[in-house]
Amino acid sequence: MLRFLVRRTGESLLLILGVLVLVFFMVRLTGDPVGLMLPKEAPPEQRAAFAAAMGLDRPLPVQFAEYMTGVFRGDLGDSLRQRRPTIEIIGERLPATLELALAALAFAMIVAVPLGLAGGMRPGSGLDLAARGVGLAGQTIPNFWLGMLLIVFFSVQLGWFPSFGRDGPASLVLPAVALGFAGMGQLVRLTRSAVLEVRKSDYIRTARAKGIRERVVSLRHVLPNVAIPIVSVIGIQFTYLLGGSVYIEVVFAWPGLGTLLETAIRDTDFPLVQSITIFLSLFAISIHLATDLVYGLIDPRLRLS
Amino acid sequence: MTHRTLRTLLAAVLAALIALPAAFAQESEDELVVALSSDPTSLFMPRTSDRTASNAAWSLFDSLVWIDDAGEIVPALATDWTVSDDGTEYVFELRQDVVFHNGEPFDAASVIATWETGKDDSNDYADSYAAADLVEAIDDHTVRITTPEPNATFLTLMANDWAMVPPEYIAEVGLDAFAQDPVGTGPFRFVSRTAGDRIVMEANPDYWDEGLPKVDRLVYRVIPDASTRLAAIRTGDIDIANRLTADQVSVLEGEEDVEVISYLNDRVYYVAFKNIGAGVGTPLEDARVRQALNYGLDRFGINQAIFSGQANAAPGFIVEGNLGYDADLMEPFPYDPERARELLAEAGYPDGFEISMGCPADGYININEVCQAIASSLGGIGVDVEVDFQTTNAYWSEAQYAVTGPMYVDSWSSEFGEALPRLDGALTPGNYYTTWEDEKFASLIEEIESEVDREARAALYVEMHELMREDPPFIYLYQPVIFEAVDADLVGYQPRAAEEYFLRSVGFAD
Repeated sequence: MLRFLVRRTGESLLLILGVLVLVFFMVRLTGDPVGLMLPKEAPPEQRAAFAAAMGLDRPLPVQFAEYMTGVFRGDLGDSLRQRRPTIEIIGERLPATLELALAALAFAMIVAVPLGLAGGMRPGSGLDLAARGVGLAGQTIPNFWLGMLLIVFFSVQLGWFPSFGRDGPASLVLPAVALGFAGMGQLVRLTRSAVLEVRKSDYIRTARAKGIRERVVSLRHVLPNVAIPIVSVIGIQFTYLLGGSVYIEVVFAWPGLGTLLETAIRDTDFPLVQSITIFLSLFAISIHLATDLVYGLIDPRLRLS
Repeated sequence: MTHRTLRTLLAAVLAALIALPAAFAQESEDELVVALSSDPTSLFMPRTSDRTASNAAWSLFDSLVWIDDAGEIVPALATDWTVSDDGTEYVFELRQDVVFHNGEPFDAASVIATWETGKDDSNDYADSYAAADLVEAIDDHTVRITTPEPNATFLTLMANDWAMVPPEYIAEVGLDAFAQDPVGTGPFRFVSRTAGDRIVMEANPDYWDEGLPKVDRLVYRVIPDASTRLAAIRTGDIDIANRLTADQVSVLEGEEDVEVISYLNDRVYYVAFKNIGAGVGTPLEDARVRQALNYGLDRFGINQAIFSGQANAAPGFIVEGNLGYDADLMEPFPYDPERARELLAEAGYPDGFEISMGCPADGYININEVCQAIASSLGGIGVDVEVDFQTTNAYWSEAQYAVTGPMYVDSWSSEFGEALPRLDGALTPGNYYTTWEDEKFASLIEEIESEVDREARAALYVEMHELMREDPPFIYLYQPVIFEAVDADLVGYQPRAAEEYFLRSVGFAD
């Protein structure tokens, strides 16, 4: 187990290093920040002064060295627009994004796992049809479009939920459904097919032959064995939800990292784009690492291989 | 799970769903809720890098002078002022008994502090403050401001950018903290801000302009997506939704609680020519060719096809609402492909020519379609335009301005009802957005800049228009129409052509 742990952690660290290098150079490929930051009217002297103040006039390798040392000190620089540490800005927005991602994940799991189990246990039944329908819908309907649809129907027509913003639990419902929908589709299909797979195995047949009740078969024998793929997909889903919430946050004016990233890209706020990308990457890598470790805990075969 | 527990659970979920809508507070009539299309970068005026931010910030501040809805300069924190004969010295009498939201008195020291903090190089709008050489106190309530040379738009500039700040408070907390918790003399005072979400303000009970503001509370909500702003105005969650499109407001037809507002934006879209860099040695050097391109472009057809007629064909750089604009004198180039071909033949290009045109992909509404339509329209007079689409980040950079072209699509806005910023930005040599350098334009712009008399300046604009017509440095395209939707009970809301609005006199009908 220890070797497994050390190897996975080492791989994750390498990945993080790669992300840091990639982010720095990719952000700089997209344009000249000085021309975009200052108004069109700004004279050359002001441009030069601004570039100097922001450190943008130094050679790229020097900027890179400063950036890397900054990263290791936990200093990701100041936002060009807001002139505050990017870490501070990310910290303000993170709770909203986590809240939304967790709610979306909860929604996806609550709907998908029981539905997938039920569908898988009784192939061809009404529930199975529903499971397959939900799976298909989740994977084909684009989330931003679904978001707009939900707003028009539940906010504008019915007036049940606020159309935008973060104003308590009611405002969480529509964005969480829109964001969690695709994940729900994936999860329901995966659960269903995993159940179908497990149901064919010998130990299930044996359990049935022993006369164990169907409910006990599903809960004691099927569920634990479909848990592994579900856990891994939930881990992937969660990182996807964090990163993929950009559209949904913008559609619902949700004040999280997604809207922040969108604004930062539009404003060419390099340090902020860089920090958000690094932050989300670190988060994703950590989640994957955690998933792998949990995986190892629930399936001893993985620890040994 | 038994059927009973399942039923109980379902009932609980249903009950929660029904109760939820009551959980979000309905706005009261004394609260004005305004959507912002982006989260303001700062509420410290010199760092408000876009219109959305400066619009929000102006609710907290006042300047010495104010521009009224008719475009006239009127007193605000200054009750009176005089300008020296040579046009470089302004003496302002300041309003007495004005206090900042924190109780600090407003006086000459505040004007000096405003100038000093504003002209710091790191500010986006340092330029506006650097337009003054010296700001000095004559006494507590009189200040003298000196400009290096006569500046026709200095007062307008002050009205637009010089938001008065309290010196003691700034000295105590510093600029960064000030930007987080701003203090002004304005109609509203700052209450709180949630990043990316909202800015809350309340009426300033000691506001010097009696009877204002009209509402007790002002809340700005950040809603980046236009269709979400549209939904929010329909549900009544907000009172003002700006930056909507013609298509979007069309769904509001027949809604009783919402009113649609539309007005011409003071922004001109154009195809710029270059007579430097990539433009040297091209057919564009001949004025007849540039005229031909103006005649040969079906700008009316483009407006109709791409903007459903909801845009104005631009007559030039001086447009409706600008000082000096005269509808009779200033008509757009007619669409006359015959005349265009004649001019091309005269210039020695009877079979047309090939040329490249830069286009900022997705940089503006429908711009990709516009670029393609330009190429197709000019193809009709034998000019073969190759459209060079570029990402906007790369497009609007100094390095790219040097090499794009010899033609490229761009736009320029103007504010305070004069075309000067647009002319200056696009035609004054040395500005990095200038790609057409010609002494006769530059000297006329300089003349406009230093002409303090409004009437005389208006006449100069007419002269400028004629010059830009005979020897066109651009193909003039269109001026967009802006659409907004507001609560039908709203009164006193009057957005201006540069998308500026002030909320001090905005309230609700009884």
